[in-house]
Amino acid sequence: MSLIQLNNVGKIYPLGSQQVIALADIDLEIGAGEFTVFAGPSGSGKTTLLNLIGCLDRPTSGSIRIDGRETGGRTAREMADFRLHHIGFIFQSYNLVPVLTAAENAEFTLMLQKIPKAARRRRVEELFAALGLAGLEDRRPNDLSGGQQQRVAIARAMAADPRVILADEPTANLDSQTSEELLRLMRRLNEEQGTTFIFSSHDPQVIHLARRVIRLKDGRLESDHRQSPKTAA
Amino acid sequence: MLPRLAFRNLWRNSRRTLLTLSAMVASSALLILALGVFSGMFADMLASATEQYHGHLVLSRPGYQDDRDMFAHFADDPDLADQLRRRPGVRGASPRLRAFGLVAHGNTTRPAELLGIDPERESQVTSFSRQLIAGHYPQKSEADAALIGAGLAKRLGVRPGDELVFLTQAADGSLGNDLLTVSGIFETGAGNRDNALVLVQLSWLQRLTVLPGKIHELALTIDEPMAAAELAASLKPVLPDGLALRTWGQLLPEMQEVIASYDVSRLILVTILYAATGLGILNTIFMSVLERTREFGILMALGMKPGEVRSLVLLETLVLAVISLILGVAAGIAMTLYMQRVGFDLSPYLSAVTYAGGTLPPRLTAVLDGQNLLVPAAALLLVALAAGYFPARRAARLKPVEALRED
Amino acid sequence: MPSAIATVVLCFLGFASPVFALDLRELIRQVETQYHGSSAQARVSMEVATDNWRRTLEMESWSLGREHFLTRILEPPKEKGVATLKVRKEVWNYLPKVDRVIKIPPSMMGGSWMGSHITNDDLVKGSQVDEDYTFALLEETATSWRIECLPKPEAAVVWGKLVYEIEKVRKLPVRVDYYDEALQPVREIVFDEVREIGGRVLPSRMTVRPLDKPAERTLMRYHDIRFDLALTEDFFSLRTLKAR
Ligand SMILES: Nc1ncnc2c1ncn2[C@@H]1O[C@H](COP(=O)(O)OP(=O)(O)OP(=O)(O)O)[C@@H](O)[C@H]1O
Ligand SMILES: [Mg+2]
Repeated sequence: MSLIQLNNVGKIYPLGSQQVIALADIDLEIGAGEFTVFAGPSGSGKTTLLNLIGCLDRPTSGSIRIDGRETGGRTAREMADFRLHHIGFIFQSYNLVPVLTAAENAEFTLMLQKIPKAARRRRVEELFAALGLAGLEDRRPNDLSGGQQQRVAIARAMAADPRVILADEPTANLDSQTSEELLRLMRRLNEEQGTTFIFSSHDPQVIHLARRVIRLKDGRLESDHRQSPKTAA
Repeated sequence: MLPRLAFRNLWRNSRRTLLTLSAMVASSALLILALGVFSGMFADMLASATEQYHGHLVLSRPGYQDDRDMFAHFADDPDLADQLRRRPGVRGASPRLRAFGLVAHGNTTRPAELLGIDPERESQVTSFSRQLIAGHYPQKSEADAALIGAGLAKRLGVRPGDELVFLTQAADGSLGNDLLTVSGIFETGAGNRDNALVLVQLSWLQRLTVLPGKIHELALTIDEPMAAAELAASLKPVLPDGLALRTWGQLLPEMQEVIASYDVSRLILVTILYAATGLGILNTIFMSVLERTREFGILMALGMKPGEVRSLVLLETLVLAVISLILGVAAGIAMTLYMQRVGFDLSPYLSAVTYAGGTLPPRLTAVLDGQNLLVPAAALLLVALAAGYFPARRAARLKPVEALRED
Repeated sequence: MPSAIATVVLCFLGFASPVFALDLRELIRQVETQYHGSSAQARVSMEVATDNWRRTLEMESWSLGREHFLTRILEPPKEKGVATLKVRKEVWNYLPKVDRVIKIPPSMMGGSWMGSHITNDDLVKGSQVDEDYTFALLEETATSWRIECLPKPEAAVVWGKLVYEIEKVRKLPVRVDYYDEALQPVREIVFDEVREIGGRVLPSRMTVRPLDKPAERTLMRYHDIRFDLALTEDFFSLRTLKAR
């Protein structure tokens, strides 16, 4: 059974008197441990699709299941609780809380889960070591480079061991070398720890680092193919 | 971590926060000072209303305080006075006899109220001895001494040492009349006393009115004027039959109303001062919430629940309130104590004002009263939380998808 | 000739003379002017009873017209020599015990005179009833008239209405009722014991009762009266007042 199952998913945004069809007829299955990119031009529906999978938004039609369970809930609170326990997020940029240190940012979801301080510290230490962030625990986001910030964001997304990590254009504000380093790091985590990643991008350099490329166009699936990603930098 | 986050969030725009904070500190400190001054004025008024004439509790025949019927007298029993004076909470008891009549000097005659007193005991209850503007407070040995109000003295044209004639209807119907010697002149600032009251020796008045050994009232002074009613109730069992205690509140119902209205005025003052402060807090928190829309979007995407977001914003307001509360109360206490010690003499600009049976002397002073700290502190917290509520609700209602789209 | 008792009563209470004909005002004016220049000396006893005490004063009094009046207490010994002088609108008391004269201030004119139910105001204002009031014949029976007196709008008087009852034959007062400004009866004066004094037929007893205290009253009894003495205004002076 697939980790994520989308059946006939559609999303329509009302825009004045018109309707914007952001997604239509999406049937998709993504398995555990996959390393998938949603590719496609601007406006093709990448963000919308990630938001639906991440339970940030509800589809207009169709169903989304994670681990065979219908996602989300009725109330904002239930949806937030679902996200907290099942989904990790990495956003484009400025996605850390500026008044919290790197370590505090990373342990934020654990804190929301009311996990004791000692356990949080251990987990953050472990992640920071794995992500090459050791020694930066007490830095504020403003005192970190863009790549370091995104690595802290990865640490935060991974902290609570979610079923899947969703990253909407995580490299959009990074230079190409840093972008590639970040992607390779994510893939290493995918390979070593089996974390499922879904990210979006329209940057070919980034796209070809994915194992599975799902192309979107005008809100529909255009293609879906697996590739053996480049291994060397 | 939420309190830590709230605390740090406050200082993101430190200038704005400091401005709001100083407004909150200033308003609460000034409010505490204003209420202290208010209480000071009130204490002055209460003191003048009671210590200038009535005392805090007055024992007399039931109807006497209403109609001042000269025949509603009772025996001046020293045991009763001693017994009352020894009760806890009672500081002094002064027996008094009262007569109304005419007082004359030369060609001028004025209506007057004569209060027969034992000078020593009266000074435990009223403050006439401290309000002399000429002459001296009568000694027990000066049988015909008269302490006369300043206004009456002026109208009669008398000075200490001058002679007065007093004429009244004695209890046997005869025309009681005799001479007095002015020993001193008092000024309380209360027109009805200064223009009509003459204090004389109790024994002199008893003889003149043919009421030997009789008094009309026993005026008591007590430690806790605000608890006069309770003390009166506790004294009831030891009172002889046919005598009743009246509290200053019953003798001066206007004063009682002033107290009631004082609570209302205090609330009005708090409301006015804090309305502006509340708007300032509202503005600060609202701005800071609007600026952080995307951040709230991220936090909510990560799984922070609407309730937690609301708590975070309310917590920020609360932190602001608590800091300003500590500083404001400290500054308020300091200013009140300063005012209490130093005071402010207004006599060059104002004269005494008589109102509701009490007299406001032309000075500003302050009294430190727990209520006056509690009310502003509690009100500041409430106002801050009320002002924080709307931004907090707004933040909690953000939709993460939409919030994330903002930059 | 106006009766002697009326002279005294007028001085004390401002009694207006009975009315004989249709023009009540003119009649009163004539009667009033007849007092001018006329004088009297009387021995009076005043018995005052209140809820708390009762006593009797013996007094000697002199009057000249309606503007001058002097009285001196003869009994009891405690108050012997206490005297009252009224000249026009002013009243003085002499207190022999302290040898001082006290002038009654205007604000105390409503006060009791010598502890009785007669006020200082009665001494002063009462004597000009004919000037301060308008008159109307209320009722006429075989034996008496009842005349209603209402104060003129500008008159500074304390009563709201007076009603006199006058006996027709001898033209003597029988009673006067006093009403307050709310026109409630508050005081009554009754005249009786008509007999010959000083050569005239007069009510020798006058009883004043405050209606709010039914047990209280002031009773004045006229003993000897001598009329038309050689008194002048000089007699009614502070010096005479102090003379014992
Ligand atoms: N809230 C919204 N209301 C109306 N239309 C929307 C809304 N959100 C997205 N859309 C529209 O839906 C379509 C898909 O948008 P989406 O943001 O998913 O595209 P995207 O592939 O992420 O593009 P980009 O690469 O620019 O981020 C677009 O046409 C967009 O204009
Ligand atoms: Mg997008």
